[in-house]
Amino acid sequence: MWQLPADEAPLARAWQTATPFPHLVIDDLVAVAELPALLEILDEEGVEPYSGDLFAFDATAPEPKTAELRAVRAAFGAALAGPLSRITGKPVARADLRAYAYRVGHYLLPHSDHQEGLERLLAFAYYLPTPEPPRGGELELYRCTVGPDGEYAATESALVIEARPNRLVVFDVSDVSLHQVREVLGGLRLSLAGWFYA
Amino acid sequence: MTPAEATIEATIEELFGARIAKEVPEVAGRALAAEVRERIARTGYTRYALYDRGSYDVCAAPDEPALLGALAALAMKETGRELHVVEARVLRLRAGDYLLAHHDVLRARNPVEVMLELSPRGVPGAEVHYRRRGQVYFACGGTPGAASIVERGPSVSCNHTYVSRQYPDAEIVRLIALLTEPA
Repeated sequence: MWQLPADEAPLARAWQTATPFPHLVIDDLVAVAELPALLEILDEEGVEPYSGDLFAFDATAPEPKTAELRAVRAAFGAALAGPLSRITGKPVARADLRAYAYRVGHYLLPHSDHQEGLERLLAFAYYLPTPEPPRGGELELYRCTVGPDGEYAATESALVIEARPNRLVVFDVSDVSLHQVREVLGGLRLSLAGWFYA
Repeated sequence: MTPAEATIEATIEELFGARIAKEVPEVAGRALAAEVRERIARTGYTRYALYDRGSYDVCAAPDEPALLGALAALAMKETGRELHVVEARVLRLRAGDYLLAHHDVLRARNPVEVMLELSPRGVPGAEVHYRRRGQVYFACGGTPGAASIVERGPSVSCNHTYVSRQYPDAEIVRLIALLTEPA
């Protein structure tokens, strides 16, 4: 189901030259005929509301409830870990993922994903089709300047990536991989998202 | 009770003990709030934009001695403590703005924080959340003219919630004063 383009060299170049930090945007990741089965699995799984000072969204539980979503997670990691290791130079072996439903008013404010001890190497989001495509809900990447104390001295918006259906975005996880999901102002934004680990 | 038990009890009281966290309605009328907003705007705001922490305008030294004196009197009445203002600032949040909890300064020695909502009108979901060990225990803000009074402890943090872009004309203005007992 999950297949990156066979020619990895252009992707590796894109990764190395991407700004404000390494990332990839890959469209048409899954054959369109396979999408209904994937959506059916997510429908069975169900989502619950989560909110904090940083975020408001609906998501599946951290550990999938159904064998089908666990199988999706395993297949996603197995199919993409090898190619992404070669493309990014980061030796990833497995993936963790949850499904996220961002409805009107949902958001995820700027953060880096980097946390000591969690060993996240790459982050990803794969966008799914919805009956009403989202207005807003873009992934926004920031350029960060780090001061001598190791803290951010400046942050500025650098790139906005549309949450287009059947699009995979992969990005580096580091101290400066600041990003956010812009507030959804209409429609529904559905995604699978998570991290690759060593 | 042994001395060790007494120490533990004191520490638990310091960390978790019931303290005042309340909202007093109608402290400032619409006309006064509008006047103060105008004066603060003339003084000028500075944009804060380290987006991993917050996105807002701040006036770090509002010249509002009479209003701050009135808020100190209110805080003393509500807490029964002798208090004076040691810090004051005004935050202005517009659509898309926020201030995260990890950007807040943890306060030792249980100061009192008074926040006067000077906003012209409430904006759905635009609140101030006081958290103890990450969990919201008091939500306030959003009611124009109201003042919140919170006795802070070393485990209390505070965040100003994200202001939805569904309200593009949103303007949240909050005068925040920190008060302590005289040394």
